[in-house]
Amino acid sequence: METYFLKNEDISRFYDRIASEYDLYLPLKVKNPIKKDCSCQAVASLPTDDYVLKRYTKDSNLEFVFNDYRCIEPTRAFFTQYKEELCTYFAETSTKEKKERPQALCGIKNCDLFALKVQDYVFLGGAEPDPIYKTRRENTLIIASDCPNFKEVCFCRAFNINPYPTEDFDINLSPLNNGFLVDVATAKARSIALALKDIFSQATLGQISGRAAKRELLVRRLDEHLTQYKIPQKETLRDIVISGYNSTIWQDQMRTCVECNGCVFICDTCHCFLLSDEPNNDNSKRLRLWDGCLLKNFTKVAGGANPLKLRYMRLRNRYLKKFDFFISNLGFQACCGCGRCIEVCPGKIDIRYILRKLHEEKYLPTS
Amino acid sequence: MKKNIYQPVKAVIEEVIEETRTIKTFRIKPEADFSFATGQFIELTIPGIGEAPFTPSSDPGIKDRFDLTIMKAGEITTKLHTMNKGDAVGIRGPFGIGYPLPKFKGRDILIVGGGVGLAPLRSLLFSLFSQINEYNKIVLRYGARTQGDIVYKSQIPEWQKKDRVDLLLSVDIGDDSWSGNVGLVTTILNNAAIDFTKAVGIVCGPPIMMKFVTLKLLDLGIKPEDLYLSMEKSMSCGVGKCGHCRIGKFYACKDGPVFTYDKLKDMHDIWD
Repeated sequence: METYFLKNEDISRFYDRIASEYDLYLPLKVKNPIKKDCSCQAVASLPTDDYVLKRYTKDSNLEFVFNDYRCIEPTRAFFTQYKEELCTYFAETSTKEKKERPQALCGIKNCDLFALKVQDYVFLGGAEPDPIYKTRRENTLIIASDCPNFKEVCFCRAFNINPYPTEDFDINLSPLNNGFLVDVATAKARSIALALKDIFSQATLGQISGRAAKRELLVRRLDEHLTQYKIPQKETLRDIVISGYNSTIWQDQMRTCVECNGCVFICDTCHCFLLSDEPNNDNSKRLRLWDGCLLKNFTKVAGGANPLKLRYMRLRNRYLKKFDFFISNLGFQACCGCGRCIEVCPGKIDIRYILRKLHEEKYLPTS
Repeated sequence: MKKNIYQPVKAVIEEVIEETRTIKTFRIKPEADFSFATGQFIELTIPGIGEAPFTPSSDPGIKDRFDLTIMKAGEITTKLHTMNKGDAVGIRGPFGIGYPLPKFKGRDILIVGGGVGLAPLRSLLFSLFSQINEYNKIVLRYGARTQGDIVYKSQIPEWQKKDRVDLLLSVDIGDDSWSGNVGLVTTILNNAAIDFTKAVGIVCGPPIMMKFVTLKLLDLGIKPEDLYLSMEKSMSCGVGKCGHCRIGKFYACKDGPVFTYDKLKDMHDIWD
């Protein structure tokens, strides 16, 4: 991996070069003036603005920015769409290979990269990879970046995930002084760097250690913020979720759930889907729709039986999937600490609180 | 062209056999090569409507066509029950892991079915019959709600005549024309002349029946690792991606649909 320095004023040339080859998505800021109802000074000082990725074009007058933390929407939406056609069937002319332009995603954070490992396990692993996901994954340039700040809900560090990427990207940007350190990790990225060698200067040792100091400072600030939540360590997650099977926390927490499934659809590690067919003359369409395990009929079978008929069972099932199924099969949890589910929930159901309670019930039982 | 795992292969319904008021057997002829191992399942597409998982009920030795014995229960099966000879359907698969027949060699095999749950077991029986001398005793115990709900009525007497086969039926509710056992299938399990502690047990039926048969067979001495259970779960993709059929750390579609009881026994609520 090579590291270069890119000046702020040259960033648009960098973007234009990428956009000549890829559909480039860059962060836009969404102002969010609602301040958190919180008396705590440390929390009130945290940012509340959001970011969304939008398609960049050279002449667009959108004001693209560098995102200080992850975007609102999960990165997985660029790899499996909420609703998309997978194939048609039976007509002679069925399944034309649809050619998609390669995409470049900018502003991907380390939590997003962690989540992508879960998506890769699901869609690329097993006996047969998902052909659409595989093609898109291969055709995507990932331009990750450090988080110079965090939101109140961010808790990646609770699971030892750092707020800066060190692997699983093509390019990584770390803001520094009047520009960026640019890590170039793959052949795809190298060809871009080569074409732009007049604006890429070799990073100096001073710049590299400057970045390390910034990273360390942010980690310290985030760790400090997280102490109040007492989130259990990742090594205990599987045990506490299994031993908490009969805990009352599931019923307690679901009291305020309105079954919107926002937590599922905004989650970057969730992957469940439903195949759904649509008649279309002699050439029926097969669609893939994102599905969610908090929806009532997720596990219902044709005879009418439903193992997850009550809401609390579905919440518990979600935690068992994330912290038992994935840890057992993949070796790590399907939660990247992005906090999107906390932010989206109108019922204020908080994964940090649930994990803490499960941990306390196992290790600090009240007499 | 890249293979699309979600795209069904076209197949034609060759024959429809009425088993009971609510159960029909469909003989399906795929337009492409297709074979399965007994116990594996397929996804059946009703064009423009959708898919549902079924385990073939025919002899896996027959390569160009297969049977599905299906009860009318939901949207897909209700539509299927209105379909006729010559109608087009689609299939994907086979998926999952079949019964491990080599492990059954030289042993007593106790097969317990309930209702339409005899469908996958018929496929297993045909596989066993094709090498019948490889196994010790084949004991079949089958329970249906009433005499009218018994599937494969014309074939059962032939199976009964086979050497090494011990077959008993029971109905939950009897009438004057029924001379067999009346009661749940659990009432005809003890009388099998086999050493339960060394036998293989295989169960398929509605969840409540599976639960009580499992408890009874464990009681009779069958070992958890020798007890094969067909787990009914909602399935969509068949390839371990859609997330619907999770059982603990397994997916029924790729790690099952048949599981030995030792893998399930410590899990909560497996019969729900």
